[in-house]
Amino acid sequence: MGAEPRRVVGRSVPRLDAREKVTGAARYVTDLALPGLAHARLWRSPLPHARIVAVDAARAAAAPGVLAVCTAGDLPVAGRRYGPAFRDQPVLADGIVRYAGEPVVAVVAETEARAEAAVRRLDVRLAEEAAVTTLEAALAPGAPLLHAAPERAGRFRDLAGLRPVPGTNVCHLWRLERGDLAAAFAAADLVVEAVYRYPALSHHALEPHCALARVDAGGVTVWSGTQHPFAVRQELAELFGLPLAHVQLIVPLVGGAFGGKCYTKLEPLAAALAARVGRPVRLALSLEESAHTSCRHAVRVRLRTAVRGDGTLLAREAEVALDTGAYADIGPRVATKAGYRAAGPYRIPALRLEARCVYTHNVPAGAYRGYGIPQVTWASESQMDAIAERLGLDPLALRLRNLLAPGEEPVAGDTPMDGDLAGGLRAVARAAGWGGPVPAGRGRGLAVAMKDGGGTHTVSTAVVRVHADGSVSLLAGTVELGQGARTALAQVAAEELGVPLEAIHPAVPDTALTPFDHGTSASRSTTVTGLAVQAAAADARRQLLALAAPRLGVEPAALALRDGLVVGGAAPLSVAEVVRGHFGLVGGEVTGVGTFVPARWSGTLGGGTVFWETGMAAAEVAVDPETGAVRVHRYVSGADVGLAINPRECAGQDEGAAVQGLGPALFEARALAAGQLLNPGLVDYRLPTFADLPDVLETVLVENGDGPGPFGAKGVGESGTFCAAAAVGNAVARATGVRLTELPMTPERVWRALRAAGRGAPPEGAEAQPTPGGPSSSMV
Amino acid sequence: MLPPFELCEPTSVAEASALLSRHGETARLYAGGTELLLAMKAGLLRSDYLVNVKTIPGLAGVRVDPDGTLRIGAATPHRAVERDPLVRARFPALARMEADVANVRVREVGTLGGNLCFAEPHADPGALLQVFDATVRLARAGADRTIPVAALFLGPFETALAPDELLTEIAVPPLPPRSAAAYAKLGILERPSAGVAVAVTLDGGGVADVRIAVGSVGPVPRRMPEAEALLRGRSLPESRAALPAAGRVAGRAADAVSDLHGSAEYKTHLVGVLLRRVFEQAVAAAGAPGAPG
Amino acid sequence: MSELPVTLTVNGEVHALRLPPWETLVECLRDRLGLLGVKKSCDVQVCGACTVLLDGRPVSACTLPAFEARGREVRTIEGLARGEELHPVQAAFVEAGALQCGFCTPGMILAAVALLEESPAPTPDEVKHYMRGNLCRCTGYKRILEAILAAARRLAADGR
Repeated sequence: MGAEPRRVVGRSVPRLDAREKVTGAARYVTDLALPGLAHARLWRSPLPHARIVAVDAARAAAAPGVLAVCTAGDLPVAGRRYGPAFRDQPVLADGIVRYAGEPVVAVVAETEARAEAAVRRLDVRLAEEAAVTTLEAALAPGAPLLHAAPERAGRFRDLAGLRPVPGTNVCHLWRLERGDLAAAFAAADLVVEAVYRYPALSHHALEPHCALARVDAGGVTVWSGTQHPFAVRQELAELFGLPLAHVQLIVPLVGGAFGGKCYTKLEPLAAALAARVGRPVRLALSLEESAHTSCRHAVRVRLRTAVRGDGTLLAREAEVALDTGAYADIGPRVATKAGYRAAGPYRIPALRLEARCVYTHNVPAGAYRGYGIPQVTWASESQMDAIAERLGLDPLALRLRNLLAPGEEPVAGDTPMDGDLAGGLRAVARAAGWGGPVPAGRGRGLAVAMKDGGGTHTVSTAVVRVHADGSVSLLAGTVELGQGARTALAQVAAEELGVPLEAIHPAVPDTALTPFDHGTSASRSTTVTGLAVQAAAADARRQLLALAAPRLGVEPAALALRDGLVVGGAAPLSVAEVVRGHFGLVGGEVTGVGTFVPARWSGTLGGGTVFWETGMAAAEVAVDPETGAVRVHRYVSGADVGLAINPRECAGQDEGAAVQGLGPALFEARALAAGQLLNPGLVDYRLPTFADLPDVLETVLVENGDGPGPFGAKGVGESGTFCAAAAVGNAVARATGVRLTELPMTPERVWRALRAAGRGAPPEGAEAQPTPGGPSSSMV
Repeated sequence: MLPPFELCEPTSVAEASALLSRHGETARLYAGGTELLLAMKAGLLRSDYLVNVKTIPGLAGVRVDPDGTLRIGAATPHRAVERDPLVRARFPALARMEADVANVRVREVGTLGGNLCFAEPHADPGALLQVFDATVRLARAGADRTIPVAALFLGPFETALAPDELLTEIAVPPLPPRSAAAYAKLGILERPSAGVAVAVTLDGGGVADVRIAVGSVGPVPRRMPEAEALLRGRSLPESRAALPAAGRVAGRAADAVSDLHGSAEYKTHLVGVLLRRVFEQAVAAAGAPGAPG
Repeated sequence: MSELPVTLTVNGEVHALRLPPWETLVECLRDRLGLLGVKKSCDVQVCGACTVLLDGRPVSACTLPAFEARGREVRTIEGLARGEELHPVQAAFVEAGALQCGFCTPGMILAAVALLEESPAPTPDEVKHYMRGNLCRCTGYKRILEAILAAARRLAADGR
């Protein structure tokens, strides 16, 4: 296929689901109903740490329309726990509440309103216990322990090396050391050290969590907006003691996820309740409840870097602590990746990197787009600029000097750098006018980062079914979260198979029908599932040509499949004719199967990375020195996508990621006090709006064709989040001379920093300063 | 989900007032509901009876009296005020403030009267109306009274309305010639975090009169007479020189509250910053030829 | 049991209903009338996912009681296209790539339709101001802005 111009891949075709989404025909889990559906609502603990003393359900059970009132002991999965790293999470709080918002009692009723009314009639008595709700408190000697000895889930190969620290709240301690750290620091011309903080965030996908479950003689079926239908299937099979084949997860369109719907969330509870009442059950959360279900890890990074006078990085020491909340979820993996990437995308001979995944009495933190890299990049890239300042070097030059070159291993034995970091950074800097004059009152900042892409040890299988009329079903377990993956996979299938895009029909991910796929996360779908899809399509194509060859009296090697026609013989044959001709006039189909299995089985992350997802950004900001308000005038984001299967969708992913990254840079954060989430809803949790769109937002797609995915593609989607905070922070530092180490850089924090540095409001009697626009639309 | 309630739909002020008397604390007035219904959904307020004021004729609408007083029916949505040609022409600061309240959907349904009665501290209209010396008419069965907007707010979510009173109209007198008003705010979260309103009247080279109000920072929006005194009757350069002091005085008097929007210290500082900027805006607008109020 | 008679027109179709005063418009449209294109998200009038047009004006269906639509016309996303033919705003969203997960999209499109009906040639700043109350967590807004401006140009060219 190589020499021919591509017909579908590389084109910005409209998304396959665009029409249904703009007409309101799109169906999400929250839109689904089943005959006989019952509705569940939850009573959640107001306290972060407490013993459940008593639950008086009498009045609730007597309320109209109530089918069941359940505590942990009432569920068929009583006593069992789940979790992707540790099996530490109960389906309902079991004797002990470990975070404010943890579900304790579930009520099932005929309608949601009746279930909610019954919840209000519950009488639950809790005995409050001392809670540790900050990293410092949880790490302090003698702190109460959330889990004495959490049981390993033993499910994912890369998590085989979990290292909890007994007697502490550290559920995983990851370490990497190489080189002679002490000597490097001793020999340095400059040592810079600081502590950086990145806040906990709420995913706030617009569609909250929801699951519908049905349990019958055949097994368990759950409709859920999950990113990991197969992992959830396994969890449910183990919890309910069922064969995998008797557990079915179905995932329609998902209204946003960003990691908040990774691994198991509501599904066990919905299924347990369905089993309990003997009817299908819908468990739908409000947006505020979703914020009490999962969140991004708040991270503290102590970073110390040794540098030579010419800017060469000699050594780095990093202590990364992640607040993983009351249950580990996938925190240990996030910690590992964050620890590893505290080195940034640089060549640093001596390293001592440590990451601690810490239990606290907060909402469990889990996967979130960027997976720890935005947090450590905030630290690493801020420090790079601090180094540039101290040495009098250009921030771009400093980075170019130290960036990993293509082919270079970040750590011995790991996947070599497969992208052109320097080229990408240069392209972004150029697009932002770096080196040119900066408008008065503004500052520019850069940042660059990388993350393992494609996941470690993930396997995908795909199936292509070519039907007798030439239409094609694509069975791949990738979930459509909005990222456009299913359109991209359809493009890959169409291109590889040699049929028009319109012939491809991606099936809804359904573990009973679509073959095994690790999950939709880690920017893996285009690359890893894409390779499986490509292999399946190639398999189907080979079979079709083999079937056509004898009919055309030529060897299969003489034939090609193009636009749905077999060409190279005396006359073209349509795919339909080939299929029908083989199986007879009635029906039949040709089935192609493809699987991706990772090549590298060991590495720093517990496995080799499939590719490196790299990101770079340049921001130009203006700061109002009197209010501290920061306005981003221009933002350029760079994403190395290898080859853009759908350029417009790639750019859209990167733009969305960039704006999502600007949130915590400037205003977005969970507000926590003593384990209470003070801003669960959108009145007090500030999401990016139209008003935050920079005047110029540009994405540079780097396409060097050097990805391992289909046609040279890599993944995309997370890199846009890596660099936003650091690029903006570096720009703020350039504009004001002041550097913040804690996010978000709210107007108040910037104002305080300016004041502390003596660069605050103009002296009394001075004329009013010209004012750039602030975050409010009517800012004067 | 909203909790159950009974809807009452009076067709006169007297009837509405009687309903409030009869049901006491279990009844609330309901106009746009954009704040009330949220509080009910969240379980912060309970109300067995909602008394719909939109079914009372004559409570919505915008008109200007022959003497130039703007009269806004309490049940007029923000957007109607924002887009009214008379408001835009004669009270442009009011139109601009209304244009920035919440979001367009709240502006289409939420009413100016409802906003004032709910008395959410983080709100815009209360401050600006006070620099116009606006008044509100409060009506009950057989009795009407008019009080300044400045006297309406007693505390967070607390107004001077008697239990059986309705706010029926907001009256905004025109500013004198060579006057203008301006309002600016800073929003850290969804609701405003700090808002300052100024109205100035110029004469000769000086500030004949100035009115300052601060909102969203403290428990209630309020006028700042001590800050005004530092600027009133001074020449323009003198007033400008006194702005930082006026800002400090106003900031202290605003009684800033530390909350998710920011610390009291920062909000106090913002008052001073916004005051200077809004003062200059108002002066510029007042100095412009044919400056309306 | 206090149920009110509520007759409202939805997407051109008249419905004579009886419903309690506390039923919100989003509950009425979704649960009673099966118009699942109306989405419920933040439930506090901030995100705009529930935006529907009431007599052509954008309102938050999550917080507006359904009885407030009595005698009035409601337009949901389902009532925008003419059969197979997409409304220019819908078409513009598709062409510009102004949607990803699609959950904000119905509300976003309806708000844009209302904006363009009121203001046929908005500047980018005017668009941003009007649309500030419609949140999108996926796209970063750039393409939505482009789509709305493109739709404005197309509507003007069509003489609408």
